[in-house]
Amino acid sequence: MEQLLTIGTLLGVLHSMIRLATPYLYAAIGETLGQRSGLLNLGVEGMMLMGAYVGFYVVFTTGSLLGGVLAAALAGALLGLMMALVSVTFRAEQGISGIGMYLFGLGLSSLLFKLTLGTVQSVSGFPEVPLPLLGSIPGIGPSLFTHSVMVYAAFALVPLAAYVLNRTTWGLNIRAVGDNPQAADALGVPVAAVRYATATIGGLLAGVGGASLSISALNIFQENLTGGIGFIAVALVYFGGWRPVGVLLGVLLFSFVSALQLWLQVTGVGLPSDLAVMLPYLLTILALAVSNRRAGQPSALTKPFTRGA
Amino acid sequence: MVAAAQQAAPTISSLELFNITKRFPGVVANNRVSFEVRAGEVHALLGENGAGKSTLMKIIYGLYQPDDGQILLNGQPVTISSPQDAIARGIGMIHQHFMLVPSLTVAENVALGLKSSRGMRLDLDVVAAKVERLAASYGLRVDPRAEVSRLSVGEQQRVEIIKALYRGADLLVLDEPTAVLTPQEADDLFRMLRQMREEGRALIFISHKLREVLALCDRVTVLRDGRQVGTFPTAGMSRGELARLMVGREIAAPHAEDRAPVPVGPPLLQVRGLSSSAGAGGPALREVSFELSPGEILGLAGVSGNGQRELADVIAGLRPSSAGEISLGGAPLVGGPGERMAAGLSYIPEERMRDGAIMDFSVEENLILRDHTRPPYARGPFLDTARVSTVCRELITRFAVKTPGPQTPIKSLSGGNIQKVIMARELAREPRVLIAAQPTRGVDIGATAYIHRLLLDMRARGGAVLLISEDLDEILALADRIAVIHDGEIAAIMPRAEADPERIGLLMAGASTESLSH
Amino acid sequence: MRRTLALIALSLSLLLTACGGAPAAPAAPTAAATEAATAAADAPTAEPTAAAAEAPTAAAATEPFKVAIVMPSGITDLAWSQSMYDALKAIQTEMGGESAMTISYSENMFNVTDAAAAIRDYASSGNKLVIAHGTQYGTSLFEVAADFPETAFAWGTATDAGESAGLKNIFAYNAKAEEGGYINGVIAAMLSKSGTIGVIGPVEAGDAKTYIDGFTAGAMATNPAASVNKIYTGSFGDTAKAAEAASTEIAAGADVLTGSAQQVVGAIGIAKDKGIPWLGTQSDQSSLAPELVVATQVYDWDSTLKDMFAKINAGTYGGTAYNLTLANGGLKIAFNPGYTGVSPEIKAAAEAAIKGISDGTIKALP
Repeated sequence: MEQLLTIGTLLGVLHSMIRLATPYLYAAIGETLGQRSGLLNLGVEGMMLMGAYVGFYVVFTTGSLLGGVLAAALAGALLGLMMALVSVTFRAEQGISGIGMYLFGLGLSSLLFKLTLGTVQSVSGFPEVPLPLLGSIPGIGPSLFTHSVMVYAAFALVPLAAYVLNRTTWGLNIRAVGDNPQAADALGVPVAAVRYATATIGGLLAGVGGASLSISALNIFQENLTGGIGFIAVALVYFGGWRPVGVLLGVLLFSFVSALQLWLQVTGVGLPSDLAVMLPYLLTILALAVSNRRAGQPSALTKPFTRGA
Repeated sequence: MVAAAQQAAPTISSLELFNITKRFPGVVANNRVSFEVRAGEVHALLGENGAGKSTLMKIIYGLYQPDDGQILLNGQPVTISSPQDAIARGIGMIHQHFMLVPSLTVAENVALGLKSSRGMRLDLDVVAAKVERLAASYGLRVDPRAEVSRLSVGEQQRVEIIKALYRGADLLVLDEPTAVLTPQEADDLFRMLRQMREEGRALIFISHKLREVLALCDRVTVLRDGRQVGTFPTAGMSRGELARLMVGREIAAPHAEDRAPVPVGPPLLQVRGLSSSAGAGGPALREVSFELSPGEILGLAGVSGNGQRELADVIAGLRPSSAGEISLGGAPLVGGPGERMAAGLSYIPEERMRDGAIMDFSVEENLILRDHTRPPYARGPFLDTARVSTVCRELITRFAVKTPGPQTPIKSLSGGNIQKVIMARELAREPRVLIAAQPTRGVDIGATAYIHRLLLDMRARGGAVLLISEDLDEILALADRIAVIHDGEIAAIMPRAEADPERIGLLMAGASTESLSH
Repeated sequence: MRRTLALIALSLSLLLTACGGAPAAPAAPTAAATEAATAAADAPTAEPTAAAAEAPTAAAATEPFKVAIVMPSGITDLAWSQSMYDALKAIQTEMGGESAMTISYSENMFNVTDAAAAIRDYASSGNKLVIAHGTQYGTSLFEVAADFPETAFAWGTATDAGESAGLKNIFAYNAKAEEGGYINGVIAAMLSKSGTIGVIGPVEAGDAKTYIDGFTAGAMATNPAASVNKIYTGSFGDTAKAAEAASTEIAAGADVLTGSAQQVVGAIGIAKDKGIPWLGTQSDQSSLAPELVVATQVYDWDSTLKDMFAKINAGTYGGTAYNLTLANGGLKIAFNPGYTGVSPEIKAAAEAAIKGISDGTIKALP
């Protein structure tokens, strides 16, 4: 118990939190853009898996980390485009088609894994680099400000997404299309194009999020590598009230509790392990239940748009 | 945002529709309709629901393409291919359901779809300044930074108008603009529209309210069943003439003798200190108290969203109250809707398509809902289909429901006939108290007159009616006493004889009784 | 229209998932067998496939021995499922390949209902032996076995060879994971300089728990002052969480790590990055970190399976509960020659402990 209260432990928890948060951030920020435009993408998990596989495979065969990230982004973007085709153009039920997209990504990444790799392999992924100045602060520098570039990019996405949503014409279009597509359409906003764009970017970010596991955090690929991260990311978008900063807080809270429960077990507090592993999920459900999650929900979420309807 | 030419001289001198025909499967919505609106004119488009006004308006705004006929703008034939095309040509539209994004601010709503002067970055400060200038030129105050969802309905309408003017609209189409306004807000709107007429803009005013058409408009084009009855100058026209043109026959308005005093007994429905928490989109009820006697119609006037629905739902047992009590005939009225029904209460809900009937069910099934587990419809656990059929046929005849048959899905009926089915179901139970919420909204004039007749019949029988309506004319015509609700509170209750439309209007808008007394 | 498209999308994905290795209904075990044969061509463990293809031995004259297996994870999980699958493939090669023995399999059957359907399908399509490679499949297996008395069934980790239900066609197998765990614990305690050893477990149950308990006992017996820090991730396959657990263990001072279930590939990756020695269990994991995997407790199902086959051929379809132990050779401690830090003393201590457990002088579980 004493061990739990030391500065070192706290820094360890925070370090773990930042690492754990990374894939959630990519997926959840991408999902936020999509949902703000009215698209619910439940297929994030499948897109992450495809990104994780493709990114890993490119690094495994070519050794190029940049190539891996680009390939993961491309794979995710293509799946996002497919999602847009199904839910915007063909106006399919978004919950169902999202689950279909997840199964598609899970199945295809597993199949490709078997055909090309066959067994679990490892690569050398992104190294951890200290941030200039911050990284050299004694004590907290090495634990809080020494991460891979994939981690920094994930955190940089949050203000970027907030800026795009709130301060650009493009963000205004996204928000309008998600809340009242009829009105936006009447004013000349291309509703379908906006949704195609957010779905594609959402897929792209999910793909990069998957790659942040396979070529940065873990440096391996295995079937179903993401293990549900994409679904938790969707829940965290609701939790964050559809605002990038809120989503960041949700991701950090979830990651903090996940990291904390690992430390609780290591320091032998005597908490049963079954209870410890439930903590982050319990907390998420609790927070969702008490937060006023309807406030800020895009009114047109999951509703396909038809002109004149 | 790209500067809109709002201060430049209007560029539309006339818009002419010539022999416009628009067909939909099974119906001709517009049949060779022609009319013309000129700069500096307010032109009314008058007709009942289904007369073809909306279709015509959507053609002008580029949402529909006519099957036949021509549109001439300033004398030149044009094709208006989309709403954006219409906006680019200087045509603006104020929809009945506002085309605003509730979660955005006023300035963001105005800026939406326009190019920013700063490229990708929004220039909301520039837009806000222009919006304020534009509003000031009409003597309005609009906060460009306010979120639209927090504005009153009247304010939202102003944002819609400013949005159109910002885009340089010289011709404005207004679809039933006063339906959601208090009388004072309507007066403000008329003042603004008259100023726009002075500036040389052309205005098309769609309505079925005869009084407004006569008060505001220069000419009126009357539509009936998709055909054009004619275009007439309003000067010298009477409401009776207009109504006859619109409906095609005489309409019997309720006469004074219909409301002959009925002996009023002790209060039948008593509501004391009723409070509730806020509903979705409505305020909390605060200490609402009133009494309703047999043989009485109490009219509840108010602007939509001031607690009418909450009050009706609480009395009907569909929404919990936090304080206060209700009694019917001296006994406390408690429990769920079923128990309250059994105590003699009937409710005609405001959202009749959602709460009043099941759209996928047949007329017959909707008629027996609620009572289908009891005789005469049920025998033990089974439906007595023969009896159901007989009773429903009787009801259809007695309440003059126009339907091809009892098995017709109710959704294929007109709004007025759906409402008649609901009235038939509720009145057939011979309730002691009836709550009728917006019973004639969206219902044609003929059905409206019939529904009014049913309410007066109930009163004459010694029933008590709580009539909730946003149409002040309807309340003035039917009610014995009038209560005004504002923000979840009863602002005043007065006998019909002492009611004065202007005072009621001010109370609806939130003026206190004290401030009105001197 | 919309619904149809959604359905098409859904079935397309399901189809692909199925191809990806989790056939929802293996109605055509022949297809699965073909896939297995193809997989064998590039599986690193099954080298002499050419010999198999050209070798019509005596067995080829008769019907091939048909085996089917349902597994909770993938055949390349470097752990539980792979240990059994590799053993089957090795026997197949030994027997003369496809013509002597066929293997049909369903992997990633984490859904027990799907697994039950697969078990029944395999039983009704003429397999001589149907293996349900997971404790969780027991109930389904017993139900199916009662309907197919002429088919042999096997399941594990389990000790109930059908006697509880009066069935005569069930084999059970159980790995005494605590025995190798004890040896790994001895090695870990001697390797650790800090005296802190990290363990990454899946859930506190089954052979994961017995392994970890044995490991703890071995470490504490060797160095009573050692602290063995355990983290259970709550999942068998959450690679990311296992990796973070490994990072946490290292940050908390651990300088030797172990762990079990297929999730550990994530943890081994972290161990490799940080240069921390790793002790493995179930399947040989040295391919992932050739310089850092010290030793692995390998489950060798070979003799167990061969004994089952012999019994089946002799007309006995069950009734035996097998135990993999160090004494009977079912468990082996495989030292990785790539790791150079094992001193002669460590090796000697490990061998002494193996001997002690084999002859009963050491108890792996306290």
